[in-house]
Amino acid sequence: MCTVGVSERRIATFCAMCGPTAGCGIWAHVRDGKLVGIEGMKESPRNRGKLCPRAFASTQWLYSPDRLKYPLKRVGEKGEGKFEKITWDEALDLVAERLLEQKRKYGPESLAILSPARRSYSDYLYRFLIVHGSPNYGHSGICAVQRAFGLAYTLGTPRTMPDYARANLIIVWGANPVYSGTPQGALQSILDAKERGARLVVIKPEMQPDAARADQWVPIRPGTDGALALAMLNVAVNEKLYDEEFVDRWCYGFDRLVPHVQKYTPEWASAVCGLPVDQIVELARSYATTPAACINMGNAFDQIVDSSNAVRSVAMLMAITGHLDVPGGNIISAAPSAMPTVKSVHLRERYTQEMVDKLVGPEIPLRFQPFMEGTSSAYYRCLDSVLTEKPYPVRAIIAPGTQPTVITRGPQRVVEALKKLEFFVVMDVMQNAAMRWADVVIPVATMYECDHPFEAMGNWLMARNRVVERMGDYKSDYEFWLDLAVRMGYGADFWNGSIEACMDYQLGDFGMTMAELRSYPTGIVYESRPYRLGDFARVFSSRSPRLSGAPYLPQCKVAIYNTSFEEAGFSPLPEWRPPPESPASTPELIARYPLVFTDAHTSEVYNAGWLRNMPYLRAIQPDPWVHIHPETARARGIGDGDWVVVESPHGRIKSRAVFLPGIRPDTVMGLQGWWQGCAELGLSAYPDGSANTNNLYSVDPEKAFDPLVTAMPKQTLVEVRKA
Amino acid sequence: MTPQRGFFFDADRCVNCHACEVACQAAHGLSPVTHFRKVVEVWRGGFPEVTHTFVSISCLHCADPPCRRACPVGAISKLPEDGIVVVDRELCTGCRECYAACPRQAPQFGADGVMAMCDLCLGLGSMPACVAACPADSLFSGAMEELDDLAAKRGGKTIGGTEGPSMYVAHHGPELPIDALVIGEGDTVRHGGPPNRRQGG
Repeated sequence: MCTVGVSERRIATFCAMCGPTAGCGIWAHVRDGKLVGIEGMKESPRNRGKLCPRAFASTQWLYSPDRLKYPLKRVGEKGEGKFEKITWDEALDLVAERLLEQKRKYGPESLAILSPARRSYSDYLYRFLIVHGSPNYGHSGICAVQRAFGLAYTLGTPRTMPDYARANLIIVWGANPVYSGTPQGALQSILDAKERGARLVVIKPEMQPDAARADQWVPIRPGTDGALALAMLNVAVNEKLYDEEFVDRWCYGFDRLVPHVQKYTPEWASAVCGLPVDQIVELARSYATTPAACINMGNAFDQIVDSSNAVRSVAMLMAITGHLDVPGGNIISAAPSAMPTVKSVHLRERYTQEMVDKLVGPEIPLRFQPFMEGTSSAYYRCLDSVLTEKPYPVRAIIAPGTQPTVITRGPQRVVEALKKLEFFVVMDVMQNAAMRWADVVIPVATMYECDHPFEAMGNWLMARNRVVERMGDYKSDYEFWLDLAVRMGYGADFWNGSIEACMDYQLGDFGMTMAELRSYPTGIVYESRPYRLGDFARVFSSRSPRLSGAPYLPQCKVAIYNTSFEEAGFSPLPEWRPPPESPASTPELIARYPLVFTDAHTSEVYNAGWLRNMPYLRAIQPDPWVHIHPETARARGIGDGDWVVVESPHGRIKSRAVFLPGIRPDTVMGLQGWWQGCAELGLSAYPDGSANTNNLYSVDPEKAFDPLVTAMPKQTLVEVRKA
Repeated sequence: MTPQRGFFFDADRCVNCHACEVACQAAHGLSPVTHFRKVVEVWRGGFPEVTHTFVSISCLHCADPPCRRACPVGAISKLPEDGIVVVDRELCTGCRECYAACPRQAPQFGADGVMAMCDLCLGLGSMPACVAACPADSLFSGAMEELDDLAAKRGGKTIGGTEGPSMYVAHHGPELPIDALVIGEGDTVRHGGPPNRRQGG
C-alpha cells in the first residue's frame, strides 16, 4: 500500500511470516477494523522498509478460510478428523488434567514438546517443560543446532558472522540468502560487495538465484560438502597455505591433522563430490590466499549425515587459514551494542543432572547436554519412542506450529506413532496436517492479533502492536503456556498468567515497561559499536552451557584435534561419512536408482510445511515440483511440466517435473513440506503424503543420523519416471 | 520533449524473490493469477556453463505505445504530465487488441474482462509498490531524465524497439532476449514450479 486513505489507519508492528529470524518492521494498514495492506517500515534497521512476498501476502494468511477459531476436542477415532468445538477454558482444563494425570502415573518426562524451529516463543516451551520436570524438548534437527554444535566445540562459539562488507571473496556454501531473511541485510551486503568488486562463489547442487549472481557456481553433488571441506584442508595443509602464527598460537593438534588429511586428496574428493579436481584445488587456494575471505555456511550442513565432520572441517579451514576475526573474514567475537540484555524466560538454572539424564532420545550425547538452547531430544526420536518404548515411551506430545507427519523423516512410521500416542495436542493458527491425530486442537492468534511479545534483534527493540481483533475463542502461543501453567499449579513461575507482567519482567534491565516501550511506535534503535576483533583468549575459553560449565575448548584453543569428542567415543579428527545412499558409497543401487535426490525446505515463496494455502504465493508455485536437467528428463521421455513419480529404495512421491538447465544432470531436487491445498485456486491437498519428500529418505538408526548430532541427511538415490 | 516517467532495472542485482510481483498484486487488490508485474527468468548456455538472469517487467509506458495504436475505441492514452499509459475502463470493450499488440503482453484482463495494467501506482501516492518493496535495490522508478544518471552510473541501456519502452536495464552478461520478456495471460494458474520460465538462446 502506498497511501493512507482518510478512513485508513496504519499501525506499526513486526512480521512473523518466516522463522526463526522473522521480525521485519511493518506498517499494517487497517480499514474498518480489517487489515487491508502491508508496507515495509523504513524506521526498522532490520529491513529498512523492504519486505518479501510472504509479508505482502499475509492478509491472506490472517483471513484464510483455513483459520482455526475455536478449540477442538476429538470425538472420532484418531486419524478420522472428527472434532467438536469446545471453549478455550475447557480445552486448557482438559490438557492440564491429562498432563497432571500422566505426570503422576509415569513421571514428568512422559511429556515432550516438539519444537518447530527456534521461535520467539521457544523459551516459553523450555520454561514449561522445566517447571513440569521434563527435559524432552523435541528439536526438529533440520536447522542450526547441528552447525552450532560443531562450531562451538571447535571454535568456542557457534557464531561465525561473515563480514561481507569488507570481504574480497565471499563463499556461500549450502546457504540461501535469497530465500531466507530476504530483506534482512545479508543479501544486500553480498550484492553491494559484488558491485564493489568482491568475488562471489556459491556452492550448491542447483543454480538458485544467489548462484545465478555469483562469479563462480560450484555445482557440488548433494551431501558431499564434508568431502570438499576435507580436500580443501588437504590443499591448504600440503601447499602450506595456512597462517603459521595463528596455528602455533591458537590451534590445538594441528600436527595430527597433517597426516590425517593426506587421504582426502582433491582427486578423491573429485569422485565423491562430482567436481573437477582443478576446481577443488583452485577453490582451496583462492580461499586460503585471499586475506579478506568469508564463508556463509548454511542449512545444508544441518541435513547431512556427515554434519559434525563437515562443520568441523569448515571451521578448521577458517581457523588455520587465518580468516577468523579479520576484516572481511568470519567474525567470532561478540557484537557489542549499547542495548541492554533481555531477561530470558528460560529456566536453565533449574536443570539438574537427573533431569538431563532422562532425555528420551538425546539429540546430542548426554555429556554435551544441555547445549545452547537447552536440553534436546531429537524430534524423530521422541516420536519413535512411542513405538519402541525405548528407553521409555513418551505419552503426551504438544506440537506448537509443527507438523510431524510432514516435516520429519519416516512419515509412515510417524503416523503409526501418532495413532499409538496416548495424548496429542496440536497448536496452530490454522488447520494443519497433524490435526487428524490430535486429541485436542488449540487455535492460536496470528501476529496481527497480538500485542506481544517485543522484538529485540541486534540493536533494535520494538513492541508488537495489535492490528486487528481476534475472530474467535483463542489466544496467542505465549498466553497458552501461561494459562496452562496456571491450571497445572505452576502459576507462581508464570506471572500468575499475566502476559503483561511477563513482558515487563523480560524488559527489567531496560528500565521500562512494555507499555512504556509501546509509546515508541517504531521502537528504539540503540547505538551499535564497531566490532572488537581478535579477542581470541576470551572466545576460546567460553564456557559451555553444560551443568559443569566446562569450557567448550578444554585447551582454550581451536580444537583441531578434539579431545572432548575423543573422550566421548567419537573421532577426534573429522572423517568422511557418506550419505546413506550415494553413487560412491552404494554403487550396487545405481542400476535401479541412478539419480541423486535432495530437497530444500524453503523456496522463493514457501517455508517448510506452510504458506501453500496463500493464493498469491501458491499462484507462483502451484504444484509440488522436482527440478531436473532437461537432458536427464528427455532421456526418460519426460517433458517440462509432466507429472512424474520419484522413487527411492524407501518410498516414492509424485511431483511435476520442472526443467532446470542449472542443475547437475545426475541430481534431482524437490521441495519439502507439500501437503496443503489452496481452495481459492482449486488446488487440492495431499493428505495421503504423496508429495512428501520425507517418504524418500532412510530412517535406518545406523545410517540415517549423524552419530554425534543426529543430523538427518536429505540425500538418497532415485529413479524418475513419467506418472 | 514530453516528460516521461519510467523504470530503471538492475539485472545484476535481481534475485527473483517475487517481492515486487506480490507487493503489486496486494497494492492493487489483484486476483492471484493477474500480474501487472512479473519476474521473467532467462536461462542461457548448458551445464555447467549456464547463466540465469531475472528481469522484472510491467507495462513499460512506451513513448509510442503499440497498445494505444491498436485500441479500436481510443480507450488507451498517455498522460501529458508524465507519459504514463492509462486505460479508460469505461471505454474498454475487452477486445484484447492491445494485448496482441504489446510485445510484452502487459495488458491484463481480470474476471470482468476489462483491461487493466501497471499505472505506476497512480492514485496510490508516492513510490510504486514494486519499487518500495524491492529488497535487492534492483528496481527504481522516476522521471527518465533522473534515471539517465542512474543508467550512466550503472551501465544501463534502454531496452526494446521502436515503441520506445521507458525502462533502462543494467546487465553485464549475454544480451537479453527481448522477445522473451513477456508477462502473458493472467487468467490461469501456471503449472509446474517456478513460473515464467523462458528459455533464451
